[in-house]
Amino acid sequence: MHKSNGSNKSMINRQGDWRTRFEFRAMIVAFIFAPFLPFIISKPLATEIIVYGLFALGFNLLLGHTGIISFGHAAYLGVGAYSAAMIVFYGEVGVWLALLAATIGGLLVAIMIGILAIKRKGAYFAMISLAIGQMFFFLTLSPLTRWTGGEDGLKLPPLSIDFPLYVNLSNQLHLYFFILTIGCLATLAQWRILNSPFGHVLRAIRENEDRIRACGYNVSRVKFLSLIFSGLFSGLAGGLLVVYLGAASINLLFWMTSGVIVMKTVLGGTHTFFGPVIGAGVFLFLRSTISEYTDRWELWLGALFMVLILLFREGIWGSLLNLIEKRFYHSKL
Amino acid sequence: MLLETKSICKYFGGLKAVDDVDFRLEQGRLKSIIGPNGAGKTTFFNLVSGLYAPTHGSILFKDKDISNMSINDRSQLGITKTYQLTHIFPRLTVFENVRLAAQSRHTIFNFWRRAYSLSEVNDKALAVLEHLGLLKVQSRIAAELSHGEKKYLEIGIALATEPEVLLLDEPTAGMSPAETIEATHIISRLAKELSLNIILIEHDMSVVMEISDEIMVLHEGRKLAEGTPNEISANEIVQNVYLGKGASRDA
Amino acid sequence: MELTWEIIILQIIMGLALGAIYVILASGLSIIFGLLDVLNFAHGTFYMLGAYAVFVAISLCGNFWIAMVSAIVIVALLGGLFEITLLKRLYGTEPIYPLLLCFGFSIFMPDVIKLIFGLVGKVVEYPKIFQGAAFVGTLILPKYRIFLVVLMGVVLLALWLFMNKTDIGMIIRAATRDRLMVSCLGINVSRVWTVGFMLGVGLAALAGVIAAPMVQTIPNMGDEMTVESFVVVVIGGLGSLGGAVLGGLLLGQVVSFVSFLYPDWSNVAIFMAMAVILVVRPRGLFGEEGRA
Repeated sequence: MHKSNGSNKSMINRQGDWRTRFEFRAMIVAFIFAPFLPFIISKPLATEIIVYGLFALGFNLLLGHTGIISFGHAAYLGVGAYSAAMIVFYGEVGVWLALLAATIGGLLVAIMIGILAIKRKGAYFAMISLAIGQMFFFLTLSPLTRWTGGEDGLKLPPLSIDFPLYVNLSNQLHLYFFILTIGCLATLAQWRILNSPFGHVLRAIRENEDRIRACGYNVSRVKFLSLIFSGLFSGLAGGLLVVYLGAASINLLFWMTSGVIVMKTVLGGTHTFFGPVIGAGVFLFLRSTISEYTDRWELWLGALFMVLILLFREGIWGSLLNLIEKRFYHSKL
Repeated sequence: MLLETKSICKYFGGLKAVDDVDFRLEQGRLKSIIGPNGAGKTTFFNLVSGLYAPTHGSILFKDKDISNMSINDRSQLGITKTYQLTHIFPRLTVFENVRLAAQSRHTIFNFWRRAYSLSEVNDKALAVLEHLGLLKVQSRIAAELSHGEKKYLEIGIALATEPEVLLLDEPTAGMSPAETIEATHIISRLAKELSLNIILIEHDMSVVMEISDEIMVLHEGRKLAEGTPNEISANEIVQNVYLGKGASRDA
Repeated sequence: MELTWEIIILQIIMGLALGAIYVILASGLSIIFGLLDVLNFAHGTFYMLGAYAVFVAISLCGNFWIAMVSAIVIVALLGGLFEITLLKRLYGTEPIYPLLLCFGFSIFMPDVIKLIFGLVGKVVEYPKIFQGAAFVGTLILPKYRIFLVVLMGVVLLALWLFMNKTDIGMIIRAATRDRLMVSCLGINVSRVWTVGFMLGVGLAALAGVIAAPMVQTIPNMGDEMTVESFVVVVIGGLGSLGGAVLGGLLLGQVVSFVSFLYPDWSNVAIFMAMAVILVVRPRGLFGEEGRA
């Protein structure tokens, strides 16, 4: 069987296809420009975009790359956030341990949802994940009030880092660069995962689950791992959010958080790698702008989202990629 | 014996889709299953490939009982099937379609390497594409292929998993007569070159008679007859039930 | 608090009444999913619209019963409009898109209601003949709750008759099982879908109407109900009416007793019940193999 010649091999680009290479370059460009972001828009908004961008990437691991509809991502973010806040509040540990706790929190939620729902498809997974998300919301709100602070959340003292170098996280700019650094590293890690042999199987599950199973892959196990990676990244985003806000708030666990991350991701483009970050950025920017003019933000949000779903399903980044691909790539063939 | 089913049955509610079928495939043979629509051919395939669990009876592969093994484990063991309606990864490239199948024999839970840098897997995928004449369309999106090319890709995905037993479900369906002849040649060439053991479902009698070593006839879920192509075309019961209905032109 | 048998019976009745609302709501969700393969994320929104519609209708005509019927009709028509003008465009795309459209609608609509009716809740009075309670010995029997249980029975019977005895009902059942076959019969499937969607949404509206006197009618009252109707069908098995009935009644009892005995846990209990049932029976109580 092994008689392929050199000319065939040359057609394979080990860096991946055109879109993959283009998106990688776009990502590097984004990394280069990100340090200037807090000088263009407000520092808190810039920080929020990085954190929610990371959360959206983690979420899209399921929706866009594996084809699993999760409506319970508030649980990963929120449990991550509360794990970080509680370990700081009660254990008086540092930021690094708090972020580790957040990541583990996300992992545990992923394992729980995975055990209950990973074998269920489509609508069922959406419903079960949403319900589990609400369970964590109500648990935090009422029976566990004594530890979680209930409606008031947990407010933390000012945070700083001593290792490997001193960072005063009360300084908004230092905080931004700390979160940006972790955000970039996590984004690169996810890039590697998605372009690994494992990551390619995820796409195949999205495209045709039955067929990839028939090719000899244990699909449930692969999906479970995808869920776990999604939980890790989302939990980490929750931890970063606590560092940014200096508090864990109950809103993070509310189902609307799950809904909003779906919206951000679809807005950016689910079938892309970097779209979710762009979606999160545009979304947060629009919200901060529109809510200055109207109290009825959700009315506009709901209406715009319906238009998006009806007319513009590939999202901003997805449509842009399609356009560029058509113009510059296919014309060469 | 390579593959064997012992009084295998599959009931859907009251419907006996496959009823008490004994089937044997010896090493190095190409065996066809024929029968009218609804005879249970595809159900039988799904039982062997592991999509359904049998209601009764057992399936043996190299004398090992695999009746309750999952479809992915059976694929790893070397039993795989192609689908009657093409069942590919539509938005991935042709190369990636086959590469994914080849990768299943190599590595799954590797989270760090670049998927496209697995040279062995790449070579395997390219070799399969070359066998099927798909090299020139390797970087196209699978959904854009012609019907015939999709049929070959379907076979390619199955081949890339390096099966010992390949179940082909109507590989020439929807092809023109000229394409059918070409496909027939490719299948029999593959069987020899790759020493594949093939079970074939096919409606086109000329194809069946030309390339089969043995034929089994199914009718309403039961085995009606079994034998060499000559024996089957001479069999009176088969003539009445099946070949008599217009298909005898080729026999 | 002490659990006397009078209290137990009262809690059972409260649970049955709540269960009746769940059952009616979830059967609508189940019908829509079975027929259209669409998970109606706006189901609670239509429930909320039912409650507001009955509020408006009562203030216009003063009669609960006329208001009830007109509220259901209005919401069903609105649902039909939604299906024909928006949802229909997404059939044949990936299943997530109809779901997300409904989700967008569920974000959009409560804000429209806030714009029209304000943030303050509206009060819908109990219908006159069902105000107060009947006393049998030491037993307290709240009339309205008992009416709800009877109403549920009537609705389920009507639904059964509709599905089994009318042409359109039988077409809906057939289309639920095999869409292709029905379109081969020369039936306009598109219209069947619209009717099915209106039926499901109408049931959500009915649930909103009958819940309105018991709960606060506020713009976001439906959000929680969407999630709870999901829990009902996950427990029962989606696409099965029997499952919706059993799941709804079970949840009603769980909520009724837990909120009486351990008020802190009342909101958490239904999700825990769901998790337990998923562990014991992964496909739900009535879930069929293959319908994932």
